[in-house]
Amino acid sequence: MIELNNVSYTYPRTVQPALHRISLALEKGRCIMVTGPSGAGKTSLCLAASGVLHHDYGGKKEGSVIVDGKNVADYQGLSDLARNVGVVFDDPEAQMIFTTVEEEILSALEYRGLSADVIEERLSRIMRTTYLEELKDRSPHHLSGGQKQRVALAATLALGNDILILDEPTSELDEHATKRIAEILKNLKASGKTILLIEHKFEHFRDIVDTLIVMEDGAITATGRPDEVLTNDHVRGMVLPDFSGIKKNIGPSAGKEPIISVNNLTHCYGNVRALDSISLTIRKGEFVAIVGENGSGKTTLVKHFNRLLSPASGDVIVNGKNTRDHTIASLAHDVGLVFQNPDHMFFADTVREEVAYGVKNLGIADADAVIDATLADAGLANSASLYPRWLSRGERQRLGIACVVAMQPNVIVLDEPTTGLDGYEALLVITILKKLQEKGHTIIIITHNREIADNCADRIVTMENGHIISDTGGA
Amino acid sequence: MAEILQYVHKDAFLHRLHPLTKIAFILVVSVMCLISTNLAFLALMIVAMMIFAAYGELLVESLQQLKLIIIMSVIFILITVITMPNGDILGYLIPQGIPYIGGLVPVTTGGLMIGFVLTLRFIVLIFAFQLFLISTQPRDLVHTLDKAGMPIDYTLMFIIALRFIPTLQIEGQRIHEAQLARGFNPGKGFIGKIRSVAPIVIPLVSNALLRASVIGLTIDMRGYRTGTKTHVRERTFARRDYAVMAVLAVAVLGFVPLVLAQLI
Repeated sequence: MIELNNVSYTYPRTVQPALHRISLALEKGRCIMVTGPSGAGKTSLCLAASGVLHHDYGGKKEGSVIVDGKNVADYQGLSDLARNVGVVFDDPEAQMIFTTVEEEILSALEYRGLSADVIEERLSRIMRTTYLEELKDRSPHHLSGGQKQRVALAATLALGNDILILDEPTSELDEHATKRIAEILKNLKASGKTILLIEHKFEHFRDIVDTLIVMEDGAITATGRPDEVLTNDHVRGMVLPDFSGIKKNIGPSAGKEPIISVNNLTHCYGNVRALDSISLTIRKGEFVAIVGENGSGKTTLVKHFNRLLSPASGDVIVNGKNTRDHTIASLAHDVGLVFQNPDHMFFADTVREEVAYGVKNLGIADADAVIDATLADAGLANSASLYPRWLSRGERQRLGIACVVAMQPNVIVLDEPTTGLDGYEALLVITILKKLQEKGHTIIIITHNREIADNCADRIVTMENGHIISDTGGA
Repeated sequence: MAEILQYVHKDAFLHRLHPLTKIAFILVVSVMCLISTNLAFLALMIVAMMIFAAYGELLVESLQQLKLIIIMSVIFILITVITMPNGDILGYLIPQGIPYIGGLVPVTTGGLMIGFVLTLRFIVLIFAFQLFLISTQPRDLVHTLDKAGMPIDYTLMFIIALRFIPTLQIEGQRIHEAQLARGFNPGKGFIGKIRSVAPIVIPLVSNALLRASVIGLTIDMRGYRTGTKTHVRERTFARRDYAVMAVLAVAVLGFVPLVLAQLI
């Protein structure tokens, strides 16, 4: 159904090719999963295979892309191609143009030259296969990440194509939502769809993947049946990373002084109790993982540590200070918070200036030395003069951490620090965090990744519906 | 969070009206309130608008912008009082007892009058447009404007601009929090204020530009601009549409002689 023959591609105004002599063949009813580090050219491959590169981008192209027996160059633009290939891009928000779920999917159906009856029939079938029936009147602002992904997928299915290309559909999703997507794709494959999937979470898609392709630096470095390809240690480390051995025995943490004490904390958004009488003590030097489904209150809890949120009732004591009596700026000395999407903070012209911003805000002594040391620790010393947004996702994630670490807070809190990273990149981030712990910092991570929580954290706190339901290190 | 100018899904009177009827409604209301300078008449229009909203079960939603309306009203009235003194002097913004500058800004009947007229017009317009936007599904708007010969590019531009207001609000909030955690300190003085904008606005705009390219690809792949359209679940003109049109016609017929007689 899709055939790439020796495809190379260089984006306009760049020198390094994004794709280098790529050849692959995706047969009808099959599923190929492409994986690899961020910046390896996976998204470019999506754009090439769907014909978008050919029709919408300039740049230097070599080789040929054949979709459904026809060269992409011979299609009449993207709308024509979309009859054969559907692409679900990695940002679901941008694929929702209308204001309710049903309207979105219906609108996608209306421009296909179908009769009204067929449209209605397809609409209800697609709503069923993507489990969106109950959400049909919701607006985009009232959908979770996983629900938005399903809407983007549904609107793509509406175009009536047999080939689906999905660019990291589960990178921001929790366990539950990822399983949902995996289940939908499994059913779609069983119904005869051909799937090209860009993913990191091989485990979830093990059942449907026929061919596993590894991309590095724009080229394919491994391809074949998953069980064959995974015999290679390098590939194994990337796809199924081994985090064991990371945890070092730091001795019983009991007896150490508490650095964060949360007492009977309650927080409400409108009528919803996001946190319900939470009590939690975190001791100096601990590595704590907070796990739980989306919406269980994890992010709401950590936002109280530096007073981005104030308690409705109860107290949060950080380093002996009650957060009620201190400003966010003064608490930044004690608690550093790294948010899920690092792109929410970059605004400087160079990596170095980006790190310097927080350091200057806090007036830290010996700023230059601190910045150099932090960049070196984060493995970014050679990128100091680059523009932050040119870095790969993995590098941006480490830059986000560096920006906060350079401010030298006692406690470093990270929301989903390994989202969208391959095994090696995730391992690198975790190793950096582990080193920070050895230097005496307290590390708190929010993660969906059970593997990381089990192998790296000294203590796992599980949350559900605004409560802590289990705590492996509770005193 | 109050979602500015977003469609609210309901099945009520205004939602069931044909978009063209609602466009006619906006046009008539806008022209009337822009021509009239009569305070009583403008106030009456606001009351009529509220009754209309209540009948369409949208009163709560349409009062969401009340805070903005009040702030704007105060600003309007202050500006006209300061810049357009006219008629009798009622008092002074700066009391006369204060040496040198006392009695400098007179509050005049003319200035107040113009301020009130502008404010009331403003409220009528906001109300009318809001009722239209929160009761009309963008899909229906696309249909209607498409039939009226409006190029789809303009319609999409309009609905996308509205659709992404809350998205940008939420994203702006997240960026603000991320920068606060880095010791972001809104500066003092004019230069400081401008400098403090960069850490918020640069990430917001960069992310929005990235998103815009995906929106563009999505629109092209779905064929909104090139595909042939099948109209399904179309809104048709019903009795309620004719009724509203009739009310509008009566209003216009009554309005013209009153204007000519310079009564309103």
